Amino acid sequence: MSRRKPVWLSCLTASSLFLWTVLAVFPFLWMFLISFRAPVDAFSSSPKLFAPFTLSNFYQIWVVDEFWRYAINTSIVTLATVAVSLTIGCLAGYALARYRGSLGFWLLVAALVFRALPHVVLLTAYKPAFFQLGIWSRYETLVVVLVAINQPFTIWMLRAFFVNIPHELDEAAMIDGCSRWKAFRLVIIPVMWPGVITAGLFSFLLAYNDFLIASQLMNGEMTTMTAALGNYMGQNTSLSKVMYGVAGAVTVTIPIVILIYAFQKQIVAGLTAGAVKG
Amino acid sequence: MKLRTFLAFVAPSVAIMVILIAVPLVGIVYLSLFQSHTKTELVELTVEVPTFGGQTRRDTRMSPQPVLDSSGNPVRVWTYVGARNLEKATDLDQLAQALDTMRDGAEGGLLRRMYQEATNIDFWAALEFTLLYTFITTPAMLAVGLGLALAVNSVTRRLRGTLVFATLLPMIVTPIVSSLAVYWLFLDNSLISTLTNELGFGRFYFLADQVTTRTLIICYGIWFSAPFAFIILYAGLQTLPQEPLESAMIDGANEWQRLRYVIVPHLAPLITVIALIHIMDAYRVFEPILVFSSDVYASSVQYLTYFVLAYEDNIHKAAAYSLLTIVGVILLLVPVLRHSFKERRVQL
Repeated sequence: MSRRKPVWLSCLTASSLFLWTVLAVFPFLWMFLISFRAPVDAFSSSPKLFAPFTLSNFYQIWVVDEFWRYAINTSIVTLATVAVSLTIGCLAGYALARYRGSLGFWLLVAALVFRALPHVVLLTAYKPAFFQLGIWSRYETLVVVLVAINQPFTIWMLRAFFVNIPHELDEAAMIDGCSRWKAFRLVIIPVMWPGVITAGLFSFLLAYNDFLIASQLMNGEMTTMTAALGNYMGQNTSLSKVMYGVAGAVTVTIPIVILIYAFQKQIVAGLTAGAVKG
Repeated sequence: MKLRTFLAFVAPSVAIMVILIAVPLVGIVYLSLFQSHTKTELVELTVEVPTFGGQTRRDTRMSPQPVLDSSGNPVRVWTYVGARNLEKATDLDQLAQALDTMRDGAEGGLLRRMYQEATNIDFWAALEFTLLYTFITTPAMLAVGLGLALAVNSVTRRLRGTLVFATLLPMIVTPIVSSLAVYWLFLDNSLISTLTNELGFGRFYFLADQVTTRTLIICYGIWFSAPFAFIILYAGLQTLPQEPLESAMIDGANEWQRLRYVIVPHLAPLITVIALIHIMDAYRVFEPILVFSSDVYASSVQYLTYFVLAYEDNIHKAAAYSLLTIVGVILLLVPVLRHSFKERRVQL
């Protein structure tokens, strides 16, 4: 469609895209690179591109510091969070897409306000309450809390997807004698998967990326991978311990990179669905 | 859909939000009105104190011990203190003093001194940087995002997938990890400071100075959030109708005029949504501040509350900060909410 662009503009475009790609990827690449080095080579005062290769950081954090425990905790917590929040989120998202009264609008506004709350606000209330109830540092507690925090975003996003499923579809089923529930089960569930996968990805990311809640709600062996990285931070940490942290950070990053690679389309679709149609 | 069916469908979702979001919000108001301490009593304790030669001496003294209830837990005493927690959190006295400095004299730079005194108070310092962060990163991430969207839109299709993949990384990788990755680059004697030294700009200690620390955190914020703006604006560009663009070209509009008068107006609704979501997220900036341990130079409201909760272990003070945070969120959201109410009325 367009005429030929001025040369300077093409140059600017190309160079800024190149610069951005370097900026976006480089911190992670460097982290990956130094995770295989001894502390001296990683933070030496004249950085080297090539340095002796070692796996000792990974050995230390995975075997000696028992990072695998946290990896198992993370898997349990994130999978349970995704399952629960999708189940209840689908029901609510579907109802919000089909109901025409003003109650639905108010629910969405409330969800928007809840979505804006900093998580530490809720944590302040959980801390004394969970101690009193004796449900501190348990998988169930963390899962339920993450599901709740996730819910406002999930119902907004799923609603946007359900609005796109033509309402004639379930109405036809209801004319044929289905109840609302049966129509949902037989007609909507089979066609809703693209939206559900996308919403599931974002639930996964929220649960997996959470540091604040898990680091305060779980202690000792119960904590998640992300929260366990907290042990390797701070200015007073020795350099060798920092290196274990680098290995841990690389470990946490790998599943995310695979996820982006495999589900790039769905992630983009989800981001746009939330904003464009919501 | 009937109201009853609607209620049945949303019930589980609403129940979990009420129990774990709405009720805790009320709980915070309650917590912020009280102070509590562990009840203690003086108990006569007899201990064997070793003296020299393997001898011991019995020593009896009064010592404060926590009172235990029937199940063996320490008893906590709650006292109602009203708004005192809030007053302490905002340190109104000191703020008033800071304001008085302005009235006392009329010499120049007073506003600046007043500002400095006010930002000596934890809460105001945290609020100051939170707002600074929010209001700098919002336009910047929109500009970078728009630039990227335009640039990616003009390259060949084959490159686009790779570019989107690279762009998603800063946004989607665990924020703690991406903060750490940036932090490790900027550590003293690490890659960047060595590079600047060897290129002849001198050695920077990025994390030991207010200006560089703040710049670094704000740049991190832009780097972290621009991909979000990019993805949405890029999707918006795909729906851009070609006719207005072509007619603009026929009328002799140059690249800049086409951007300013055709493309940006088309994207305006999206820009509003991105700005709204980003403001909500920027207001709770936390990870870079924790990772850079920058709270001396740049703190945030969420970090301050976290610190009080985790290290001072003072739930009442934390509740007061939380309450102030909620007020801030509501103030930020009011314009948006009013806007959506108006739209709703139009729809009805």
